[in-house]
Formats: sequence, C-alpha cells, structure tokens
Amino acid sequence: MIAFLIENMAPIMFAALVVFLLLGYPVAFSLSFVGLSFAILGIQLDLFHPSFLQALPDRVWGVMSNETLLAIPFFTFMGLILERSGMAEELLETAGKLFGPVRGGVAYAVVCVGALLAATTGVVAASVIAMGLISLPIMLRYGYDRRVASGVITASGTLAQIIPPSLVLIIMADQLGRSVGDMYKGAIIPGLVLTGLYLGYVFLATMIFPKSAPALPPEARSFGVGAEYSPVIAAILLPMALVLWGMILLFDPQLAVSILGDVAPPAAASLDAATTNVNVIMLVLLAGFAFLYFIYLALLRFAPRMLASLAAAILLLAALFVLWQAASALVEGAKALPPAADGLGGWILAIIVWLAGQWAYYVAILALAGGIFSLLRAPSRPIAAAVWKIIADLLPPLILIFLVLGTIFQGIATPTEGGAMGAVGALVLAFARRRLNFDLMRQALDSTTKLSAFVVFILVGARVFSLTFYGVDGHKWVENLLISLPGGQIGFLLVVNAVVFVLAFFLDFFELAFIIVPLLAGPAETLGIDLIWFGVLLGINMQTSFMHPPFGFALFYLRSVAPRERYRDRVTGKLMEPVTTGQIYWGAVPFVVIQVIMVGLAIAFPSMITHYKGTGTGINPADVEINVPTIGNTGGGVQLPDFSAPPPPSFN
Amino acid sequence: MQLSVDDLNQPRDIPPGWGLPLAVSRTIDGVSIFLGRSVGWLILLAILVSAGNAIMRKAFDISSNSWLELQWYLFGWAFLVAASYTLQRNEHIRIDIVSNALSKRTRNWIDILGHIFMLLPLTVLMSYLSWPFFMRAFRSGEMSGSAGGLMIWPGRLAILVGFVLLFFQAISELIKRIAILRGAIPDPSPDHPAHQIPIE
Repeated sequence: MIAFLIENMAPIMFAALVVFLLLGYPVAFSLSFVGLSFAILGIQLDLFHPSFLQALPDRVWGVMSNETLLAIPFFTFMGLILERSGMAEELLETAGKLFGPVRGGVAYAVVCVGALLAATTGVVAASVIAMGLISLPIMLRYGYDRRVASGVITASGTLAQIIPPSLVLIIMADQLGRSVGDMYKGAIIPGLVLTGLYLGYVFLATMIFPKSAPALPPEARSFGVGAEYSPVIAAILLPMALVLWGMILLFDPQLAVSILGDVAPPAAASLDAATTNVNVIMLVLLAGFAFLYFIYLALLRFAPRMLASLAAAILLLAALFVLWQAASALVEGAKALPPAADGLGGWILAIIVWLAGQWAYYVAILALAGGIFSLLRAPSRPIAAAVWKIIADLLPPLILIFLVLGTIFQGIATPTEGGAMGAVGALVLAFARRRLNFDLMRQALDSTTKLSAFVVFILVGARVFSLTFYGVDGHKWVENLLISLPGGQIGFLLVVNAVVFVLAFFLDFFELAFIIVPLLAGPAETLGIDLIWFGVLLGINMQTSFMHPPFGFALFYLRSVAPRERYRDRVTGKLMEPVTTGQIYWGAVPFVVIQVIMVGLAIAFPSMITHYKGTGTGINPADVEINVPTIGNTGGGVQLPDFSAPPPPSFN
Repeated sequence: MQLSVDDLNQPRDIPPGWGLPLAVSRTIDGVSIFLGRSVGWLILLAILVSAGNAIMRKAFDISSNSWLELQWYLFGWAFLVAASYTLQRNEHIRIDIVSNALSKRTRNWIDILGHIFMLLPLTVLMSYLSWPFFMRAFRSGEMSGSAGGLMIWPGRLAILVGFVLLFFQAISELIKRIAILRGAIPDPSPDHPAHQIPIE
C-alpha cells in the first residue's frame, strides 16, 4: 500500500488537486492546501527532509520580488482609468463614422477599435462593455443581424488577451520562464493576423448575407452640420497617413525598412544605413508639419477667418522651405552622381535611383502635398472641426501605444516600466479630459488591489503546490506522459491544444495559466519547442475561454449591457426587440472557430512568432536553422512565410 | 455579494449567544476593509516610483536599485495585506462549475470545511514560518544582495503581516458561515453565484 502510494505520488497528488479545485473553494488556497498536505505526507513517508517546509516563506518572497509581476497591477490600473475616462467611447464613435458608408462598417470599426484598445490596455471587460454600450445599439438600429453584432463585440473585446500588453502574456512569460518583451514581440503578428481574420469574417458575412451587416444610411454618415462625409474624409486622409507613418517609424524603424524594402529597395538600404539620422530628420519634419497642421485646424476652428488664412500662409511657407531643402539636396545629390550611363536616359535613371534613396524627402513632398490638399479640402469650419475631433480622438490611444509598446519594443523600458508609463499616461489623459477625480482613482485602485491580490495569491498557491509536486517528481511524470504521445512536436501541440481548448470551457485563463502551463513547459522544452511560440499558441487558445458559451466572461460582460427587454430606439423612435442570450451565444461560435483556425495557422507558420529572435534584417540564417522548430516532412513541405526584411539589394 | 457592516449591525435579528462572535467578525471585517482600501494607494505610489525611475534612468542615466526594490516592496505590501480584504469581499477566484449545481447549504459547508482545514492551517503555518524568516533579517539588519539595495526586513514583514491578517479574516469568515448555517444571519449569497471577476 505504502509502496504503491510512494510509487504513484504524482498522479495521486494531481487527482487530489482536481477534486479539491472542483469543490469550489478559492483556487489559491486549494492549491496551497494540496501542496502542503502532500508535503507533510511526504515527510511522513521519508520522501522529504523535515526541513522541507522551511522553504515556504522564501517561495512567497520569490513571488514578491518578481519585478515582472508588477506589470499586472500597472496595466490593470491603466485599463480601468481609461475605461472611466471615456477614451473607448470617443474612439468608437469616430471609427464608426469613418467606416460608416461601407457595408458592415460599424462591425469593422468595432474590430479595429477592439484591436486598438487591446494594444493600449489589455483589459477585456472594459472593451466589451464599452463597445456593447455604444456600438450594439447602433448596429441594432441599422438592422445588423444580432448574432453578428454581438459576436463581433465579444470577440473584438477578447483581442486584449493576445495583443500586447496583455496580462495573459505577462503571466505566460512568467510561467514559462521567458522574457515578457519576447513574448510581446512574438504575439504581435499573430494578434494582427487574428484581427485580420475577424475583419475577414465580417467581410464574408457582408458578402454572403448582405442584410446581416448593412452600411449606415446616408443620414447617419455626416460628421455634423456642414461636414459631409466625403470632404471630411478627403481632409483627414493625408494627415492620418502621415501620423500612421510616424507611428511606424517611432515604433520600429526596422519595420519601416522592411515595408520600404518591398516598395523601394534602395530606399530601404539607405534607411537601414542611416536609421537614426534619417529618423531624427523625419521626426522633426513630421512633428513640424503636424504642429503647423494642428495650428491651422485650431485657428480654423476657433479663430476668425483672417487668422486662418495667415496660418495657411505660414503652412505653405514651411512646406515651401521643405521643398527647397529637398530640391537643393537633389542638386547636391545630382552633382555627386557619377556620369553613369550615356545620354538623357542614363541621367533620368540615375536621378530616379537617387530619389528613391532619398525617401525622407518623399515624405517632405508628401507633407507639402498634404498641406495644400488639406487647405483645399478643409475650407469650412465645420469640416475643420470634424477633422480636429477625429484626430483628437485617435491620437490618445496612439500616444499610449507608443508610450507602452513602443518603449518596450525599442528596449527603452522594461514591460513593468512600460506599464507604469502607460498608467501615468492614462492618468494624464483622464486629467486632460477633466474626468480625473478622487473617486475615480479610489475605485480603480480598489479593483486593481483586489485583482492583484487574487492573481498573486493563486501564483503563491501554485508555487507551494509545485514545490511538493516537483519534489515527488511530478514534472517527470507529466513529461513522460506527454512525450510518449505519437507525432513528436506536432502530436504534442495538437493534443495539448485540444486539452486546453476543452478545459477553457470550464476554467478561465488565470486557472489555466497557473495550473496547466507550468506542467507543460518542461515537456515542450524537451521536445525542442520554442517556449515563446508555445506560449503564444496557448494564449490564442485560451482566448476562447472568454468566448465559449455558456461560461465565457466576455459573453457575460456583453449580456450585462445588452438590452434584455424591448426598448424604444433613441434616434428612430422604433420599438426594438431585445437581444437574447441565445443570440449572444450563437454569435460567439464563428469566432471560436476562427480561434481554432488561428491556432492551426500559428502551428503551421511558427515564424509568425519566432521572428522575435531576429530583429528586423538581423535574422541570421544559421540561427533560424537551429532555433525555429521545423515542421519537418508533414506532406509536401510547408513554405514558411519570411517576416524578416528582404536581403539588401545589390546593384551589380 | 458580501456582508456589509450594516447587514450585521442589527441587534434585534441576532439570536442570543451570537452577539460576541459576530462582533468579533465585524471588527475583523472592518480592519480588513480599512487596510485593504488603504494599501491600494501603495500601488499608485509604486506606479509613480516605477515611471519616475524609468524616466530618470533614460534621461539622466541615474538608476538605483533602491528604487527598483522599493516598487516591489510597495506592491508586496499591497497584495499581501489586501488578500484578507479580497477574502472578505469573496473575490478570490473559484472554480464554480460543480459548486453551482450544489445547494447553498452544501456550498456553505464546503466553505466552512475549507476555512477550517485549508485556510486556517495554511495561515497558521505561514505565520509561524515567516516569523523567524522576518526576525533573522531584522536582527542582522541584512541588506539586499544588489548594490545600493534596501534593508530586507520591511519586505519580509509584509509576508508575516499578510498571513496574520488572512488568519483573522478566515476566523471572521468562519464565524459568518456558521452563523448563516445556524440561521443567525441571512445568507447574502445569490442562489447561483456567477463568480465575479471585476476585470479581465
């Protein structure tokens, strides 16, 4: 009997854990209880030294001194402050109008805003509730299918789980013993692809069932009196493109290199060569232009017409100056060119090549064009006001994304510091909106404290459990169990993902991450699976735990704000039917399927994730061969997409 | 749902013999709530310390391990002290897939047995073990291993305080659960508790 017990200590311990967890007593304490009781049993059976338990305070101390975990309260606090300061509301309103005339426009807007919010806060509840409150009534008003509408909202809200800076990824990194920064880098492309899949789903829905997601009717498209849709869009387009380009540069110059690499290889080469210098020039140009543009808009908005004209003149002068700079550089460059090919054709070719190399000036010219364009297209105050509002709504999240993700990716800040910067940024934004007050702070801190306490206590419990579980060689037991699966890496991944997918119906991600993930880390590593890849895979999978009917939290959140009874629409005055719980559940099903597809894609194309190792052009082919888990001979040789920049062009 | 101080503060409903235990429970709850709400501000402080440190490090190339350690000391105090508050608010996460199907009475029994056999022994053991853990550091005035680090005993004290508070809160929860089972106070929990997570 005792021999059997000693022999099978690990499986028995695991079974006991399952039983105690299912009792419904708080997870944190059940975990420590199972750990402790088996430790005492182990001491009785002479498996452990009696001083075994002395290590416990040290375990708590270890959790406490883990600086990475600080990111959890920081990001939570940031998300709560943003939720209350109304950023999501304004973003949604604006994005809804921008996408309005397209079929399925509001749904696209919801997905995009979901991704943007995800990239700023990483809090599911806030996104789902905000979008459910604002977009759901609009979608219902204009005749969206209720299932499509609610599905899009819940799924887009859960994007916060996979797009950095998500709490899941922090915990996953901690459990797998990898850096949070790498986890973030690995998750960004899958996050974007997933967003793309959601958009694709909306597109499909509009193609197959055009009535399920109609465009907004013309009367709902205006940005206000005197600001019709198309002139506003025309006026906003170029400035927005510039802002986006600036974001890309700020974020990741290497990404800019690779984007340009596809379009204009010589430009990419020159950018690569002088990334920092060019960046500085670019940023100055961009900032200068944006500044002037804002002044122009502000004057148009608030000042008499004459001042606006003055500002326009200044703007034009500045643009002229930029153009003059560009032109003189052009002359300089042309002088420096060797008299290459013969005749006029050769000169033109040389100038084109050179121009392509001076891509910074492109942007300067673009800025000029943008300035003129805006002057022509934003002549009236209402339009300027609309443009002003759009930019003012879109900028705060972009600034926050830069503050948080930009600084983390560029190695300026650790994830923890990024979280702290983001939290401070959120406070500043809330203050700027005049929504910051003592009560808001107190509530946000209160929720943050409780969430931190229960999360960290589960972690403490899990550490107490694992202390004993590893002591009885439980990890080896799990490892043997999983490694003996047929199919090597792929077999392992399929089984593990299937198990997590099923468990996600019952457990939420904290429980999965703290109990299941540490057990899987060892075997995965033994099989040569990249742990970042593994973590992101599981992260995508666990996202379903929010959407699985009937227990997914995102579904609860939407249920709590969706109309339960008939109501009279505020705008049309029509009596509207409520949204049933069944509709919310059915709406989520296609997205659960998309999630499964995404897991499959991430397994098939690991380079989506493993690109974190090589930054930009710096991927070393030798590295790739060693580190990237190859799928091997799974029929027909899968071509892995290459996310690194193309090799530098040669001009022989 | 949780018991608020007002719910309990109704002498006419309380049967004889329950006055003292419920008063004890009320006092413990009050302390936990007060402390739990107060330590939230430590998190704000930690945010400011962390952001400030990041800016200083980047802008002036000044960095100090004491700031880095201070931020996790602050957070450590916050989550350890708030654990009892979270318990009082019944916000420690549970797996309720099975327990939702059980009767309220059974769930109450599970909580009572859980408090007696899981939580109380854990908190007693941890308090017992973290006392020497703290005293060693306190007596020797041990400094952290990293250069320019802080003294470690204030950090270790948090573990001791956190588990002692959790012990008292467990007693309070136990009193309330038994009182509910005996019908001395009304059961505040809904018939089918959807376990609530405030965020995420």
